[in-house]
Order: sequence, then C-alpha cells, then structure tokens
Amino acid sequence: MLKVFKYTLIDLARNRFVLGYALLMLLVAQGLFALEGDPTKALLSLVQVVMALVPLIALVFTVVYMYDTLEFTQLLAVQPMRRSAILGGQLLALAAALLLAQAIGLGLPLLVHSPTVAALVLSLSGSALVLVFAALGALIALKQREKARGVGVALAIWFLFVLVYDALLMWGMFTLSDHPIEPFVVPLAGINPIDLARIMVMLQVDLAAMMGYSGAIYKNFFGSVGGTIVAALILSLWVAVPVLFAFRVFRRKDL
Amino acid sequence: MAEARITYHGVGKRYGKLWALRKVDCAFHAGEVVMLIGPNASGKTTLIKSLLGLVSPTEGHITVNGQVIGSDPAYRKAIGYMPQISQFPATLTIGQLLEMMADIRELRADEVEDSLVEELGLSAQLDKRLSTLSGGTKQKVSAVLALRSRPNILVMDEPTAGLDPVSSQRVLQRAAAVRDAGGTVLITSHLMEEVESLADRVAYLEDGNLKFLLPVQEILSSTGSTRLSEALPRMLESNALSHVL
Repeated sequence: MLKVFKYTLIDLARNRFVLGYALLMLLVAQGLFALEGDPTKALLSLVQVVMALVPLIALVFTVVYMYDTLEFTQLLAVQPMRRSAILGGQLLALAAALLLAQAIGLGLPLLVHSPTVAALVLSLSGSALVLVFAALGALIALKQREKARGVGVALAIWFLFVLVYDALLMWGMFTLSDHPIEPFVVPLAGINPIDLARIMVMLQVDLAAMMGYSGAIYKNFFGSVGGTIVAALILSLWVAVPVLFAFRVFRRKDL
Repeated sequence: MAEARITYHGVGKRYGKLWALRKVDCAFHAGEVVMLIGPNASGKTTLIKSLLGLVSPTEGHITVNGQVIGSDPAYRKAIGYMPQISQFPATLTIGQLLEMMADIRELRADEVEDSLVEELGLSAQLDKRLSTLSGGTKQKVSAVLALRSRPNILVMDEPTAGLDPVSSQRVLQRAAAVRDAGGTVLITSHLMEEVESLADRVAYLEDGNLKFLLPVQEILSSTGSTRLSEALPRMLESNALSHVL
C-alpha cells in the first residue's frame, strides 16, 4: 500500500488541478483578508467559501481522478498485491495531496492574518471536509460505471449537502416552530457534515447568540468538550463508513 | 504435451443477464503460444481477465500451476500482462513508472530484464513524462512492463496495436522467447498475419463459448491452407472441423 501511496502522491503533487486548488484557496483567502479590514469578518466570509468550495472540489476531483486512472488501476490489480492495498494507497495519496494543497492555500493566510483558535478550527474543519468528501467521491466512482454519471451523482450530493438539506431544515424548523423541536435540532445538524463543520467554527467566533434559539442549543451541546468529541466522532464516521463501503465494493468489482 | 500450467474448469461469467463466458473447459500448457481469436464480444477479454483476477467467474474455477486462484494475489507474480489500452499516471516519467512496478513486484536487480528498453528505443526517453508520450510509445512501455520481470505466463491483448513494424517484431520475438524458456503465452489479436507464425495453438471463441482449441498444423491441414489467416475463415465457413465445432 505504501508503494502505491508513494508514487500516486508523486503524481498528484505535480497535478495541475491540485496545484490550481492550492492557488485558488490562496487567492481567495488572501483576497478576503485584503478586502476586509477586520480579520474576524474576513474569517466569517472565508467560512462560507470553505464550506461550499472544499466539499465540491474534494468530491469532483476524487471522482474524476479515479475514473481517469481506471486503466492504470487495472494494471495494478494484475500485480501480486491485494486490491485493498491499491485502493488504500490511492485514497491516502488523494487525501494527502488535497490536504497539503489546502494547508498551503488556506492554512498559510490564516496563520499570517488571523492566528486564532477560530482559524485553527476552520483549518481542521476544512481538512475534515476534504476527507469526508474524498471518501464519498471514491465510493461514487467505484459504484458508478460511467464517468458522466459519477460526476452527476457527485454534483447532486454536493448540492444536497450545501443547499437542499439546509433549506429543508429551515423549512421544518419554521413550520414546526410551535412544537418542541429542540431535541431534534442537534442530531439533524449532525447528519450534515458541512453544517457540523460550520457550527464548530461559528462557536469559536461566538456567533451562536446571533443564530437565535438554535444557536443557543448548538452552543450548549457542541460548545462543551463532550460535544466537540461527539462532533469529531460524527465527522470520523462520515469518513470511515464511505471508505469501508468503498473497500468492499472494490474488492468485488469486475475491472 | 507438457503439463497444464493454466486450466479452466467449467468457467462461466455473467454480467447481469448476459453470459460473456459459458462453461469453458480448457488447458494451456508450458512452452506454448496460444492465440485467442473470435469476433467482438466473443469472450476473449473476459477469458483473460478471469485469469488475471480482474473479474471473478460466476461459475467454475481456474487453476494456475495446480493451485486454484482466488483472493490470494501471489500467483500473479508469475504473470506479465500487456493490456490493449495503456494508460499511466500522467506526471510520472517512464523511469519512475518502471521503478514503481519493480518496487511493487519486489524485483531484485538481477531479476529485471531491461534489454527490451534499449531495443525499443526507450533508454533515451526515461526522463520523459508519460503524459507526453505517443500511443505507440506507451505501448512500448507496456511491453517492457509485461516482459521485464521474466514472467512464465505472458498475457498480451492486441500487443502490436499502435506499434511500428520493427517494434512489433521485437515484442513478438520476446513472446517467443518466453515460450522457448518454458513459459505460457496467451495472445489476443485481430492481426492474424503478424502472430500466426508464433502461435502453436489457436483458441476460437464465439458468443462466450470456446468453439475449439487446436494445434495450428491441424487447422492448416484440415483446410489445405498454408496460412492461418486463410485457414480459419475457410474452416468456419465450411465446418471442416465439425466434430469439434
């Protein structure tokens, strides 16, 4: 697995898309800090950009890369090595390349302009989203035979998580506002990894109060040490479950 | 005839409702070249993919050197594979790719046969990125990868496609050398004229069925032909070997 990881990482480190991603994040982050006088406001704007852009790029890049390297994966599958070693090496390399690009593009500006706890949580949350959506991208690519369909499913999932889910949640909360919905607000937020990541960052910027009653509930639960651990566990599950399914699918897949 | 190196025991493969391969029983021996032919979607690719572990048979099993192949990939150490379509990590160089595959196969320096690199004119291009190579050059790289570990089972899917005549000849000579060293070579090719001088036996597949697996001489003599490219169409049209079809 380490051999596949090593050479796949070498290939990805020179990949134009990965380099472009690092540059894009750098330009966006730098631009926001340059435009906003207040680093906190810039950070808040960056949160929205990260929550939308990072999942999209991780998803689509992973899906496209896995389709584009299918013939080479077949060649690797003919070598005397287990399929789990092939997929493990490829996924590790994909994650490492995207995380490195993000560390440069997002991490560096944050370190320079806003070396705060909130910035650290944003970096960690962004990294978690890279892992979650790379894992989902891998599963999509392995389940869907055709590239166009795979990319379509990836975009639909991104759209679901970024827009549709929150719209449905807000509609539900508004419609049921006269009912005791508090016990459901936290679990429902936890189902969406993007919302979970956003909440963890917002709590650090102390914006929970501005988010109304639900914000108070989030602060009450996720603001505690236990809540932070739960959030980390949920995000870990969001990585682990798709990866486990991906391994299962790949082991049995006809190549 | 030498002992069977590869044996298919009632191997069938179904994709959904479609049977790509139906109850194939055959054996390929040490020290022979077998040419796999047949129309498109006849099952040739599925036959070789099931040997390579790329697809799992729906029924039956395959033995290699007496061992039933399954999830243990160790048997593939003896196999060299040259696919029809060569695609490699774009930003790696030829040298890095050769190093990667030798690393994965845990080849020692004395186990690597690199003379084909020189013969195919790749020595001067080892620092070139794979994304910059022409299709023909990628096929040459593919041939080197298949042959440099000195396999005793060599599987080649359309090996001369995209290659210039000189390189084609060199690759086929290497395939013959594998056979002469006691290896088993399976070749699929639509260019019968190029490989017919190499083949010891011919396997004809149609609609997922192995119609026949016969020595070249028997095919030629039964049709009164001197070339396989003439003999096979005659045989299929006239049912000259109706006892096996």
